[in-house]
Amino acid sequence: MQLNSKIKNKSKTFTNISLTLAAATCALATPVMAETSDADSWDVDAGLLIYAEDNNQVQAYEGALSITKQIDDERSINVKGVIDVLTGASPNGAVAQNRAQTFTRPSGNGSYTTAAGETPLDDTFRDTRVALSTQYQQQLSRLWLYSGGAYLSKEYDYLALSINSALARDFNNRNTTASVGFAYAYDTIEPEGGIPASGVSVNDPDNRLTDSDTKQTLDLLFGVTQVINRQTLMQFNYSISDVSGYQTDPFKILSVVDTDGWANDYVYESRPDQRTKQSLFWRTKYNLQPSGQVFDVSYRYFWDDWGMASHTIDSKWRIPLAKSHFIEPHIRYYNQQAVDFYQVYLDEGVAIPEYMTADYRLGELQTYTFGLKYGLPIAGNEFSVRLEYYLTQVSGDDSLAKGAGMAGLDLYPDKSAIMLQSFYRF
Amino acid sequence: MKKNYTLKRQSGYFIGEFTVMASPCQILLDNVDEALADNLTAQAYTEAKRIELKYSRFRDGNIMAQLNNAEGSAISLDEESIRLINLADLCFQLSGGVFDISSGVLGKLWHFKQQTQLPSDVDIQALLPHIGWQKAHWKAPLLTLSKGMQIDLGGIGKEYAVDKVAQLLQNEMGQLQIDSAFLINFGGDIYANKLRSNGEAWQVAIEDPKHLGHSKLMVNLSQGGLASSGDSQRYIEVDGQRYSHILNPKTGYPIVGGPSQVTVYAQNCVQAGMLATIALLQGEFAEDFLKAQDCRYWL
Repeated sequence: MQLNSKIKNKSKTFTNISLTLAAATCALATPVMAETSDADSWDVDAGLLIYAEDNNQVQAYEGALSITKQIDDERSINVKGVIDVLTGASPNGAVAQNRAQTFTRPSGNGSYTTAAGETPLDDTFRDTRVALSTQYQQQLSRLWLYSGGAYLSKEYDYLALSINSALARDFNNRNTTASVGFAYAYDTIEPEGGIPASGVSVNDPDNRLTDSDTKQTLDLLFGVTQVINRQTLMQFNYSISDVSGYQTDPFKILSVVDTDGWANDYVYESRPDQRTKQSLFWRTKYNLQPSGQVFDVSYRYFWDDWGMASHTIDSKWRIPLAKSHFIEPHIRYYNQQAVDFYQVYLDEGVAIPEYMTADYRLGELQTYTFGLKYGLPIAGNEFSVRLEYYLTQVSGDDSLAKGAGMAGLDLYPDKSAIMLQSFYRF
Repeated sequence: MKKNYTLKRQSGYFIGEFTVMASPCQILLDNVDEALADNLTAQAYTEAKRIELKYSRFRDGNIMAQLNNAEGSAISLDEESIRLINLADLCFQLSGGVFDISSGVLGKLWHFKQQTQLPSDVDIQALLPHIGWQKAHWKAPLLTLSKGMQIDLGGIGKEYAVDKVAQLLQNEMGQLQIDSAFLINFGGDIYANKLRSNGEAWQVAIEDPKHLGHSKLMVNLSQGGLASSGDSQRYIEVDGQRYSHILNPKTGYPIVGGPSQVTVYAQNCVQAGMLATIALLQGEFAEDFLKAQDCRYWL
């Protein structure tokens, strides 16, 4: 009988569980947001975004709807739809001139003129994009989690298709999660007027190759998430991405400039059809108790075989206020080194290189983001609104503004944008 | 309107008192004015009462009633309940299965009130198939209890209420940009946020289980949680043997050979409470367990 049996040994060895308990009880005390209801509930997230660059450049309006359904205790599925409307103009790659410049539209129909001293903008930029994605998750066992998904997006001249799959496993009393993921994407571009021949004059009537081209991307991701203590969570990721196929922007051109700095011709840019990108990512989340403030800091180092390298530091600080309101300041700094074949223009009389781009997005630049998010419960659900200001500072060799054609002009104009975003979860 | 709490002025601090979860509850607020003390006590009462209503297994229409009457079907839990069940699940694993929120049904047989006989072994054996957290299917947010199985968060609820109220007071004070000391005491489960403004720690008396109403020792508490677990008030004596109300879910019988009371200090009240309870569940090895935890404790 249980009551009468005397255990003989005098002492017993125990493991220390207080650290694990400390971590678990810490999670217990953090504020609980909106409560979900019964098993049949659908989680719906709705978002609206307005993005506007200065000088009437790109403006975007985006609506997104995401629905998550728990199928049973082990499986869930998410379906998401996004509609974007983009208008405005973006730099076409040509340098500013001390005289007006006229460009043929990419379609070959008509032309547009840029005033003296202005950065040439391609004003034909106008698109509507519809994207649909679905993601499925399944707990394979107590410690293993699988997820897989598919994505499709279509805009006027671009079709993107992709699939992804990931596997995660918990270790160490669920304090460590290791994951591995892969994704494959197949994109088709069918630009108005066809795929231009790289390095050929935009005015050459015979400058088109084919109607469309494709690009394939294979991504691999390895990650570890570690609970450090009851307040700190750390995440490390490494990813490698191999892109092959057409990666040139068919709408971007380069000015061919004479010794006086005048652009007498423009040629289509050219990028290699092979690119390997790698990145290392580290993130720390610190939950300050008992105030419930959360510090979230991350750093990413990115490099590729086009010669680009970048550093990103991103930090958010979430401060709970009374009655489940919160504010979240956000600061982000990004610094990018140009690709090897970036040049602001080509010199007349010099052989056209195999690869070249004057797209500032592949040049040397820094961006600064300052944002503030405010969240509050509405009817028991979380509503938030975010306002952000972006400043992009493009850098380069200013002495390249040579001759009468470019004297006194800014070859690397800065760019700023405002973003307003709202989310509602119910 | 009648208030659900009382407020008293002591030397240098206010005491708000109310009864929640069948326990006398106190909020000690150092160096605040009466209006604020009243406001904070009201909020503390509301939060503690909310937790009681939500997790009491003696009420209908709450999540516990839903779970315990689900007859083998899955119930989806809200985020707060998910966290509590995750903690219970972790404690079950860390304690080697002796901390078990599904062991409450044993209370049908062991009620420790005017009980002069042991329950019959046959009845106990009949209940055992319905006990055992490993039989529950838990994958957040869905919890499925097998038919006849019931769970009870009574072993966590009071400590949890203490930590939640502490968090609430800290947040409210943060809003007002004041930083006063407070101590929360819900029937012996305690949390203090900091030293009092006079530089002294809070003095907490630990009751002597052998002489109820008398304190065994005084503990200085400046910051952290303190929780006690024991059979000082709930036990029976049958044929000269004392039976603790701490029951072993694996056997259905009280734990034997353990201390009658354990008090543990930890960073928060839930942590202290879980360590104290798991220690008592080790019976005669309670102290071996506590020594391995690197924590302050009193037997």
